[in-house]
Formats: sequence, structure tokens, C-alpha cells
Amino acid sequence: MSNYIIETEKLTKKYGARRVVHQVDLKVKKGEIYGFLGPNGAGKTTTIKMLLGLARPTKGSIHIFGKDMKKDKLAVLKKIGSLVEYPSYYGHLTAYENLEAVRILLDAPKSRIDEVLSIVRLTRDAKRPVKGFSLGMKQRLGIATALLGNPELLILDEPTNGLDPSGIIEIRELLKSMPKEHGITIVVSSHLLSEIDQMATQVGIISKGEMIFQDSIETLRKRSSSKIKLTVNDAQSAWRNLMSNGFKTDVVQNQLFVDSVTDEKIAEIVSSLVKNDYSIYRVEEEKKSLEEIFLELTGGEGSL
Amino acid sequence: MGRIMASEMLKIKRKMILFLIFLGPIGVVALEACNFGLRYDYLTKVYKDDLWGGLINEASLLSIPTILIGLTIITSMIANIEHQTNAWKQLLALPISKTKVYTGKALLAFLLLILSCVVLAGGIIVLGLLLKFGVNIPFLYLLKMCFFPFLASLPFLALQIWLAITMKNQAIPLTVGIMGTIISMYSMNFPNWVPWKWPLLVNDLEKAVYSIVASIVIGLLLYLVSHLDFHRKEVR
Ligand SMILES: Nc1ncnc2c1ncn2[C@@H]1O[C@H](COP(=O)(O)OP(=O)(O)OP(=O)(O)O)[C@@H](O)[C@H]1O
Ligand SMILES: [Mg+2]
Repeated sequence: MSNYIIETEKLTKKYGARRVVHQVDLKVKKGEIYGFLGPNGAGKTTTIKMLLGLARPTKGSIHIFGKDMKKDKLAVLKKIGSLVEYPSYYGHLTAYENLEAVRILLDAPKSRIDEVLSIVRLTRDAKRPVKGFSLGMKQRLGIATALLGNPELLILDEPTNGLDPSGIIEIRELLKSMPKEHGITIVVSSHLLSEIDQMATQVGIISKGEMIFQDSIETLRKRSSSKIKLTVNDAQSAWRNLMSNGFKTDVVQNQLFVDSVTDEKIAEIVSSLVKNDYSIYRVEEEKKSLEEIFLELTGGEGSL
Repeated sequence: MGRIMASEMLKIKRKMILFLIFLGPIGVVALEACNFGLRYDYLTKVYKDDLWGGLINEASLLSIPTILIGLTIITSMIANIEHQTNAWKQLLALPISKTKVYTGKALLAFLLLILSCVVLAGGIIVLGLLLKFGVNIPFLYLLKMCFFPFLASLPFLALQIWLAITMKNQAIPLTVGIMGTIISMYSMNFPNWVPWKWPLLVNDLEKAVYSIVASIVIGLLLYLVSHLDFHRKEVR
């Protein structure tokens, strides 16, 4: 037994001969907000469908709450709230009736409907047929539905799709507060790194069906402070001089680059340059943005 | 199962489904009212030995295509509630077995159509009384003629709910259902084992029981097979 809420092993899904998800080992700990990131068509939705028992894995296993999804599907689903791709709703019913149709099935208390309506701020529109809702309102109704059963685990596939900036912030703040206030674990997928960056504690990056990065958001960020850039009067000569003194640097367009090294090392390089009468105009940290790292990891496939 | 049915009942609200369930039998009774109203003297002469039996037979004949078309439309509408916004993925990610979800839909269609039969029986009684056929109503015969054609149509109910639920494009189940209705109307001379002939109850009532038993058995079998197919299929 492990202490993971979700643990998949070599999870694989093929559609015909096409490998859509390949040997994914997804690991989510309790209380995390796990950002599941990947460009369009990477296999996020397919993975999530397998987690929810909507699609059958071709190979591999899924354990949620320590239980095998194959054997204990219904017991596991009881503790999960989910939203897959664009929201599902019954257009001819009001928001309240939509929630009631699901509440009956979950056997949740009636009062829970008003609670979730107020959480997603739809109380005022509760008595309107959902077909007249904006996409953002439908999305929020979908999140309300996911929250109905007081889940321990929320699995949300692109929950901020179609929301305006203020709606995105609202949902983000809501999700961020949940692990703290209710001990809920959240998996949230997105193709936008900036989205995940602002709420996730753990990140899994999937590309072409394969998990290419899975660690804390800090580890991902650490990759971004990577180089020190020195602007000097004669870069070529300074580079040779530093080389002869045993410092390894790169020259690009009259600027020196030092791969991330300790502060002391930078100090030594600077003092060596000063001793040899070079003029130092600037010493800067060249930050790679998370976007650049993401592009690098996913082999240049755009995320925006 | 009770909770599933409660949820299903809520979901058909404002969907015209209940309206159609009443429209079908009321339409049949209204047509018979015209039939007997316009040809009162002629028909009461033809059926002078058994006025009630005559009315029941005429109505029952008209009810057969109505039932077949009705179950085609109703099953399609019930399935379409989930197809429209692909609510299947929300429904099936809830802690409810796929068997129960499928059974809920099939049972809902069955119960609604039974309700139609009840309305038909009630409508015929009212019409007969209005036509002054007396109070010696042959209840048993009335119930048989109202419910047997539907019970003899159960394989079609099972077939239509299967097609309607597993296909997103409702043109296919609707076409199949309408074709079936037409075939059934011309099936008088088919061999007895052909299911399309069963709703007609062409044999005398004693033998019609065989049709109904066969229909229930085949209907249940089709339901079992189709529910396994639903189990196997993934959600898009
Ligand atoms: N039922 C299916 N049959 C065949 N191929 C499928 C099916 N479902 C998904 N795919 C394919 O699998 C790949 C991954 O799809 P998926 O929806 O999981 O991607 P995603 O990461 O969710 O993308 P997006 O960001 O666009 O939502 C796509 O190339 C898609 O065409
Ligand atoms: Mg997707």
C-alpha cells in the first residue's frame, strides 16, 4: 500500500493501432493540487476518462484511494467529483433541477444544492433553464455538480475553458482554497502552463501520450534560473582569458554566458575579469520562462 | 433503483414525453369517436350483439401502429436527453453501475408505455359510455386488448432502446422503428414465428398468449444482450 491518492502504473490506451496514452505512471498525493499539463491532443482527457472508469485501459493499472479501479470502481467513484471536457447539462432543466437530478443519485442532502450553488455563485440563476446560460455559467454549474457529493478527490478536465479572466481567477481561488479548507485532493488538467503555475503544487506534463515530467512546481521553476549573462567590452578576448584561468563560459553575440553556478563562482569570474582590466557593463540572471521550459520539454509543441 | 427512477422522471420534465404518452391513446380514442360518431347506425348494426367488443376491437386495431411508432419516438427522446450534451460522461462517472443506468432508461420507457395503455383503456370506457353502450363493460377483454399488443411488442421496445442509447445519431433508430411499424401493418400473412406479427394478435386470444410469452422471452433476452453491449462500450 502506498500513500498516494492516485497511482497509475504503466497506464496505456490504444485506439486501434494509435497509442494515445503510453505507460503513464501518474502519482498524486493527498492534499495536492496536481496540475496535469499537456498540449492539445496529448492525452489528458483520455487519461482522465480512464481514471473515472469511462474508458478502459488497454494496459496498466489504476489505484485510487489504494483501491483497484477494476474491482472497486463504484466505491472509488463515490468519493470523486469530476468534470470532463466541456460541461454536460440538461438544457431543458433549471440549474437547480440539474443538480437535483444528480443529487438524487448521490443520495446527498437537499441542502447541499444551495451550498454548491452559492460556492459557484449561481444562486441567483438557479431557477433558469440551463440552455440560456453562458458558457462560463455552464462551466460553473459543472463544477457545482462535481462538488455535490462532498468529494475527497476532484478531477477537473480544463475547468477554466471558456471562462473570462475574472471567472478564471474566481475558479482558481476556489480550487486553491479547497485542499486547505476541506482536505480535498485536486487533479486539474490544462494546456496552459500559466494556469497550472498559479495554483498547482505538483505538476505532471504529458506529451504525445507520455509523461515527460512529474514533480513539484518548485522543481519545475528551478529549471528556470539557469544562466548568468555578462556583458563586457571585449567578449571574445574575455572568454579566452577566462578559459586560460580555468573558467568555462560561452560566447553568444558579444556576451558571456555562465551556466548556473554558485554565487562564489560568479564572484571569482567577475574578480578575474576585473583584475585583467575588462570593463563589466552588466551581470544579469537570464531567466528561462516556464513557457520556454514547457516548450523545451514538449519538443516545441505550443502551449498557448 | 428507486433513486435512478426518480432522477429519470425529473429529467423528462418539460420534454413533451409525457404529453406524447397521453396524446397517443387519446388520439386513438378520438379517432374512434369520429369513427363511431360518423357511422353510428352502421357500426351499431354490425356489432349489435357485442357493442363493447366492437369498440374495443376497432380501437385495439388502431392502437397497434400507435404503440410501435410511440415506443420508437419515446425511446429516442429518452436517450436523446443524455446524447444532447453528452451527459453520459457525467452520468457514468457517478457511483452507479452501468447496468442500473441502462435498466433505468429501459424501465422508464416500459412504465411510460404501460401508462399509455392504461389511458387507452380509460379512454375506451369513457367513449363507450358516451356512446351509450351500457354499463356491462367486458373489463377482462378490454384489459387484454389494451395491454396485449404492447406486451407483444416488447422485443421492439428492447431493440429501440438499445439503438437509441448506443447511437448518437437518432436517424437510425427512428428509421428502424418506422420501418418495423410498416412491416408489422402488412404482416398479417407472415408465419406465426415472425415477431412483427405478434402485436396483431391475429390468432384467437388463446393462441395470442403464445405470442406474448414469446415476446416477453425474446424481449428480455434482447435486453440482456443489449445491456452487455452498453457495458462494453466506452463513453466518447
Ligand atoms: N475515441 C477515440 N477514438 C480515437 N482516437 C481518439 C479517441 N479519443 C481521443 N482520441 C485521440 O487521442 C488523442 C488524445 O486525445 P485527448 O482528448 O486525450 O487529448 P487532450 O490532451 O485532452 O487534448 P486537448 O487539450 O485538446 O483537450 C487525440 O489525438 C485524439 O484524436
Ligand atoms: Mg482534453
